[in-house]
Amino acid sequence: MAQRSRIGLRARLLLTSTLVLGLGLGLTGWVLDRSFTASVVAGAEEQLKLLTYSLLGAADEDGTTLRFPSTPLEPRLDQPQSGLYATVSDATGELIWQSPSLQFGRHASIHLPRPPSDKKMVPGTFLFRETDGQFEMFYRVIWETEGDQIFTFRVIADQAPFRLAIAGFRRTLMLGLAAVVAALMGAQALAVAWGLRPVAQMASRVEAIEAGRRERMDEDYPPELLGLARNIDRFIDHEISSRDRYRKAMDDLAHSLKTPLAVLRNALASGRIDDLKLLREQLDRMETTVSHQLSRAMAARPVVLAGRCAPAPIAERLIKALQTAYIGKNVVVEQHIAQDVFVRCDERDLMEMLGNLIENAFKYCNSKITIAAESAGGIIRLLIDDDGPGVPPEHRVQVLERGARGDTVQAGHGIGLAVVVELASSYRGALAIEASPLGGARVVLDLPGAV
Amino acid sequence: MRVLVIEDDAGLRAQLVENLKDAGHVVDAAADGDEGVYFGREFDYDAAVVDLGLPKRDGIGVIKALRSLGRSLPVLILTARSHWQDKVAGLEAGADDYLTKPFHMEELHARLNALMRRAAGHASPVITVGTFALDTARKEARVGETSIELTAFEYRVLEYLVLNSSRVVSKAELTDHLYEQDFDRDSNVIEVFIGRLRKKLDPDGDLSPIRTVRGQGYRFSPDVPD
Repeated sequence: MAQRSRIGLRARLLLTSTLVLGLGLGLTGWVLDRSFTASVVAGAEEQLKLLTYSLLGAADEDGTTLRFPSTPLEPRLDQPQSGLYATVSDATGELIWQSPSLQFGRHASIHLPRPPSDKKMVPGTFLFRETDGQFEMFYRVIWETEGDQIFTFRVIADQAPFRLAIAGFRRTLMLGLAAVVAALMGAQALAVAWGLRPVAQMASRVEAIEAGRRERMDEDYPPELLGLARNIDRFIDHEISSRDRYRKAMDDLAHSLKTPLAVLRNALASGRIDDLKLLREQLDRMETTVSHQLSRAMAARPVVLAGRCAPAPIAERLIKALQTAYIGKNVVVEQHIAQDVFVRCDERDLMEMLGNLIENAFKYCNSKITIAAESAGGIIRLLIDDDGPGVPPEHRVQVLERGARGDTVQAGHGIGLAVVVELASSYRGALAIEASPLGGARVVLDLPGAV
Repeated sequence: MRVLVIEDDAGLRAQLVENLKDAGHVVDAAADGDEGVYFGREFDYDAAVVDLGLPKRDGIGVIKALRSLGRSLPVLILTARSHWQDKVAGLEAGADDYLTKPFHMEELHARLNALMRRAAGHASPVITVGTFALDTARKEARVGETSIELTAFEYRVLEYLVLNSSRVVSKAELTDHLYEQDFDRDSNVIEVFIGRLRKKLDPDGDLSPIRTVRGQGYRFSPDVPD
């Protein structure tokens, strides 16, 4: 499957246009050739018809037969081997006249093809036919003399000059068409080169960015590629900012671990290593710091191209899993999020956020949890309510602000919430704590909605 | 109780083994998933502690393998924080609870005890049968209002019998679940402990809480007074 899409853009364009060009011009040539040939034959027919009329006009009645003047009607009829001949025969098929062009030299014995049968030759109508190398025109007439005589006029023209004209036309046509093909192919090649130049430019810029010679893709692209270029730039921006955040997180981590390390080292130096309370406090502090900074580093992962993701099935998996872990507590959970609610968020991150929030609800509730979603102005608001002790209003902001500085975080609860705050803000979302109608805490997670 | 620990970090594994042994459990430890499944197949455990990130076969694979072998023992998984995907996958694979690293050992003991108690069908940490009460959180036994003085090993024997009171427990099974493997199986230590327990729980000999089922073993089933 992958191999099928490997044909280059240039090859695709050139292949298609060559095919279309070949078919189109071939058809044009064929049509032109056919119509020219037809017009040449029609011209010959017309010429022979006119000559027949001249012969009819020149014929003189002489008793039961016809006589023709010796003066030429048409110079070529008098000239031997001229390629134009005429005969007149009577009702029995006996020749009563033939043109001088047939009378001389070898052509006196020229063998004329058999005329068409009498049935086909209706008096008063022309009959045109092509025989081997010749055009022939027959005209049968009833001459109103004594006893109404029937005469058949026959005019014959050699096809050679007509064939020559057709061959000449064909040569010119081929040359013309070849010139058109060459011109169009050239134009096509130019168009392909011109059209694909931005793509090539894009590729070389990506290479330059990889090699570190360039920082951005910039915006000088045709509209079709602008979106892609902007996406790449956004990706680069995000990459840079997450690298910065990561570096900052590492700095913060190092700094915030130095204090407890110093305390422990001093305790060791002063011989107070038996102070287990101090030891435990500092270890807790270090543990909390590490967890907190890890969660911040995790929230710095690229989310620019996050797809859409449904909270309902994730919430349901978490509830089922947590019911197993909290089997002794007999918690009743009502899940009200509709299946067709979607947020713009990575599935793993959404599971991380909902996991921490729903776990807290299981931990602190008495026996009831409800989970619901509201939608307003492109934001999906996820509500997690419990009937536990709740969080007093004066502590609500403080609980969430623990994310602000790692080394001030208290051990124990709240790390989970700090992770959610970090993750939500990386999606331009938000987390808030309110009072629940169930009597406990209501945690409100806002995330950008997705259609 | 006999507990299986599967953890690849040598330091944490050693701590887990030491702590669980101190709490009176018989502990086997495996360093990778395959070894863990081997132990789980060969021996009968009362609970398992399984790390999710294991070499050779990950924790979820271990749980699935144990469950497909028909092992219904309670499983506690250990995970790093911020890996809900793993926690949920572990619970869906058949684990019963999870503990996030780093954790306090007291928390681990509490969770394990709760799991084993729940597996035996008891919701509350205090198991009451007639006038007998066993407090599995405080490791205490009472008859009526009177607290019974038990040694750590006596308590463990009693706890095992109470948690498995629905069936007869053989002497070999008690040995397996309460003693390390190198224990001399022919000794009559178990009988001695059962004898002492009977005296302490029922000095007057009218409740007979621990019955001997001839040729099979023991069963905790005291007479329930009217």
